[in-house]
Amino acid sequence: MFYRPKNAIYKSVSRRKFLEFGGGAATLLGTGALGVGLNSVMMSTRVQAQSSDDAKWKQFAGSKLVFLSENTPPSFAIREKIQSFFDLTGIEVEILTDDLPVVQQKAGIDLRSGNADYPLQYIQDKPIGAPFADFYADLSPMFGDDTLPQDPEGYGDDVWFDNFQTACGRYYDGAKVIALPYDAAVACTFYRRDVFEANSAAFEAEYGYPMEYTNDTTWKNVLDFATYFKARKEAGEDVPYGYAQHQGTFAWTTQLDIQRMMFAHGRWTDFDIDDKIGSKTPGKTKWGDDQSILMLEKFKALADVSHPDNLANGTLELNTVYQSGNIAMQIQYHEFAASIEDENTSVAAGGRTAYAPCPKGAPEWILNGGEAVNGTNCGIGGIGISGNASEEIKRAAYLFAIWSTSQQNQYEVLSGLGGTPTRKSVLALPDVVAARVRPTTMPNALTFDAVYDFGIKDPNFVLGPKIPEANEYHSIIASETQKMLSNDQTPAETAASVQSLLDSLNDA
Amino acid sequence: MTSEVTDIGVAPLPPGAGLFRARGTSLDIEARPVTAALPLPARLNAAAPRRYYLYLMAPAIAVLAFISLYPFVWLIVMSLQDVGVGDGEWVGLKNYTRLFSDARFLEGWVLLAQYSAMCLTLQLSIGLLLAVIVNGAKWEKFLVTALLMPMMMAPAVAGLVWLFLYNGTFGWYHWLFQSLGLLGGGSILSSTDTAMLAIVLVDVWQWTPLITLIALAGLKRVPQDQLEANMVDGASPLRNFFAITLPNLYPVLLIAIMLRFMDNFRFIDAALVLTGGGPADSTKILPIYLFEVAFKFFKLGRGAAIALTLLIVTIILGKLLVRIFEKPKSERV
Repeated sequence: MFYRPKNAIYKSVSRRKFLEFGGGAATLLGTGALGVGLNSVMMSTRVQAQSSDDAKWKQFAGSKLVFLSENTPPSFAIREKIQSFFDLTGIEVEILTDDLPVVQQKAGIDLRSGNADYPLQYIQDKPIGAPFADFYADLSPMFGDDTLPQDPEGYGDDVWFDNFQTACGRYYDGAKVIALPYDAAVACTFYRRDVFEANSAAFEAEYGYPMEYTNDTTWKNVLDFATYFKARKEAGEDVPYGYAQHQGTFAWTTQLDIQRMMFAHGRWTDFDIDDKIGSKTPGKTKWGDDQSILMLEKFKALADVSHPDNLANGTLELNTVYQSGNIAMQIQYHEFAASIEDENTSVAAGGRTAYAPCPKGAPEWILNGGEAVNGTNCGIGGIGISGNASEEIKRAAYLFAIWSTSQQNQYEVLSGLGGTPTRKSVLALPDVVAARVRPTTMPNALTFDAVYDFGIKDPNFVLGPKIPEANEYHSIIASETQKMLSNDQTPAETAASVQSLLDSLNDA
Repeated sequence: MTSEVTDIGVAPLPPGAGLFRARGTSLDIEARPVTAALPLPARLNAAAPRRYYLYLMAPAIAVLAFISLYPFVWLIVMSLQDVGVGDGEWVGLKNYTRLFSDARFLEGWVLLAQYSAMCLTLQLSIGLLLAVIVNGAKWEKFLVTALLMPMMMAPAVAGLVWLFLYNGTFGWYHWLFQSLGLLGGGSILSSTDTAMLAIVLVDVWQWTPLITLIALAGLKRVPQDQLEANMVDGASPLRNFFAITLPNLYPVLLIAIMLRFMDNFRFIDAALVLTGGGPADSTKILPIYLFEVAFKFFKLGRGAAIALTLLIVTIILGKLLVRIFEKPKSERV
C-alpha cells in the first residue's frame, strides 16, 4: 500500500510491535488524562505587596481550578459569566454542580482521599460544614495578605447578613474561618393572598377571627387555617389544602420543618450548646421533655390536616404542589420565590402570593417558660477551600472565592437567575431597593422584608445543631417523626426514641 | 446406536480403524472423528520449571490483586476501625457487635428479605407468563425487542421516570391509581403501606424482561416429542405446561433466580431515587442503609462491617442456590 524503499531496514511493523506501541501509547494517554484532566493545574508569577491589583489578580494566570457546588442559582449564574473571571485572572474554573446529597458525598470522598480534586467546595453549613470542618483550609490568613487582592468591603461579620459568616464559616472552637457566605436559603411563609381573602369571612364565622397572615400569626393559627381548609375539602368544596410540609426523601428538610416549630415555642433547641457555632460534644439531648412531646403532638395534628403527600415531598415537590394551586400556604426557602412568580409555571404568580415571616410560637403551647418567637431556620452555603490543596492552589482558589461572593456578582446573580444575596450592601443598591415591591424584576426581593429584616435576626434565628454527626442526626429526626406521622408510634414514643438514639449517637 | 471407543494413544492407527474416540470422562459420549496422531519428535523439550508459569501469570495476578484483592483486604481492615473522613482508630470487632444492637440494621435485613421475595415472586410469575405468550407468537421478534427496552435504561434514570409517574401533583400513574380507587389522598410514595410496593413495581417493570428472555431461551429447548406424546395421551395444555415444560425450564429458571436475587442485594439506584429509604424507613432495605451509613454519615468503618455481612450472607445464599441447582434431577423437589 505504501512506498517502501528497497534498502529499508524495517520492511514492515510486526503485529507484536504494533500492539506494544499501541498499548504503550494508550497507557501514556490515559495516565496523562488522569493527571491533567481531573486535577487542578497551577501556574504562578511572584507578586509583591506593591504590585498592582491587576498583577495580583493575574498572578495565577494559566492555572485551572475545579469548583464542586450545589445546583443552585448562584452556581448556574457564575458558570454563565465565568469568562469574566478568566478575563480578570487568567484562571480557568470548571464548575461541577449536583444535588446537595451528591455534593456532600463527593466532598467527603475527596477530603478523605487526601487529594484536592475539588479545591473549591460548596460548604452548606450543617450537611457539609459540620462533619468536615476540620478538613477545610483556614481563610483568615489570606484576608490580610497584601500579596493577594482583597474585597474593598472586607470580610468582617458586619459585611454579611446577621450570623451568616458564623453559620457557614466557623465551627466548634471558632478558630478558623473556612468559608465565605456564598448563598442562602432562609425559610419564610408563602401564602395565597387571594385564597385567604376569599375564605376570610367564612373562617371568621367559625373561628372568631379573620383569616389573615401577619408577623404575629401563630402556629396555632396555622393549625386552624389548615383544619378549616381540610374540612371544606372533605365537604366537596373546590378549595386547596391549607398547608403542606417537606417530609420527603431529604432528611434535612424534614428536620428543619420540625425545628422551626419547636424553636418558636420557648426557643427550644435539641442540645444545650451555642447554637450558632456548634459543638463536638453536645451532651444529652432535651428530646423527651414535656415541651418536645407537646410539640410533636401539635406537629402531628398539623400534618393530619395538611396535604396528604407530605411524606413524599421534598423542597422541589412541595413547591410544585404550591405552584399548582393545591395548597394555600407553605413554609419554603426564599430562593423559591422566583419560581413562584413565574407565570409560565405557577398559578400562584401575578400578585396572588404574599411573603411573610415564619409563624410565631403560640403562648399557650409553651411549657418551658421561654418566649414565643418566629422561629426561622436556614441553610447558609459557603464557598471554601480544601485543606488538602497546596498553598498555591489555596491562594488561587481564594481569588475565585472572593470574586464569586463580591457585591457585583451577587447583584448580577440576583437580577439574573434569582439568587439570594449574602452581603448586606447588595440590598442597598437602588435597583434592589426598588425591586422589593411589586411590580418587580427580581422576585426573590419580595421576600427580603420577611427574611433579611425579620427572620434572620435574633431572637427568631435558629441555626443548629452544628455537630459532627449532623447528617445522622437529621436522619434520626426524619425517620422517627415520619413514623409518628404514619401512626406507627405516638408523639411520646417518638420523643423517647429520638432521645435514646441521639444520646447513643453522641455517646452522652 | 453404538460407537467404537478407542484408546487415545500416540501409535498410528490403521486406516479406517477407530473413526471416533471418547472425549474426557463425560458419561454422555461425544464423538468426533480423529486424524492419525503425529509421530513423536526426535527429542522433547525439557519441562519448564513451575516458577516459569508463575512469572507468566504474575502481571495478571498483580492487576487482579490491585483492583480486587487490595480493596477487599482494605475493606476488612476498615471494618475493624472507627474511620470517618480522617484517620481511623482501631476498634476491633466493635463495629460488628454494634450491628446486633442497631435496630435499623436488623430492620434493613427484614425489609431486604421482603423486597427480594416480592420482586422475585412477581418477576418469575410474570416473566414466565410473558415468555409463554411470546414464544412462537406472530410478532415474537418485535415483542422481544420491545421487552428489552426497560432493561436498556440505567436504573437511576428508571427511578427518576417512575418518580415523575408517581408524583402526587402531575404523575400519570398517580392519577390512574386514584381513578381506580387504589390510593387514598396521598401518592403511592407517601404512605408506609404502599411505598415498598412502589419500588417493587419499578424493579419488576425493569427486570421482568430478563426472566422472560431467559425463560424464552429455555422454552426453545423443551423437547417437542415429549409435549406431543403427552398431548396424544390426552393432556390439556395446562397439564402439558406443568408436567413437561416447567420441569424442563427448571435449570434456566434457577439461573434467573440467582441472578435476580444477587441483583436485589446490590442494585439500589432506583429505590434510592424514589424513596431514599422512606417514608419512616419503610423502604430502607439493608443496601440503602449501608449506603447511608458509609456515604451520608461517613462512618466508613461501620459501613464496611455492614458491607461484609451483606457479602457473606449473599455468598451463603448463593451457594445454597447453586447446591440446589447441582442436585441430580431425581433429588429435586
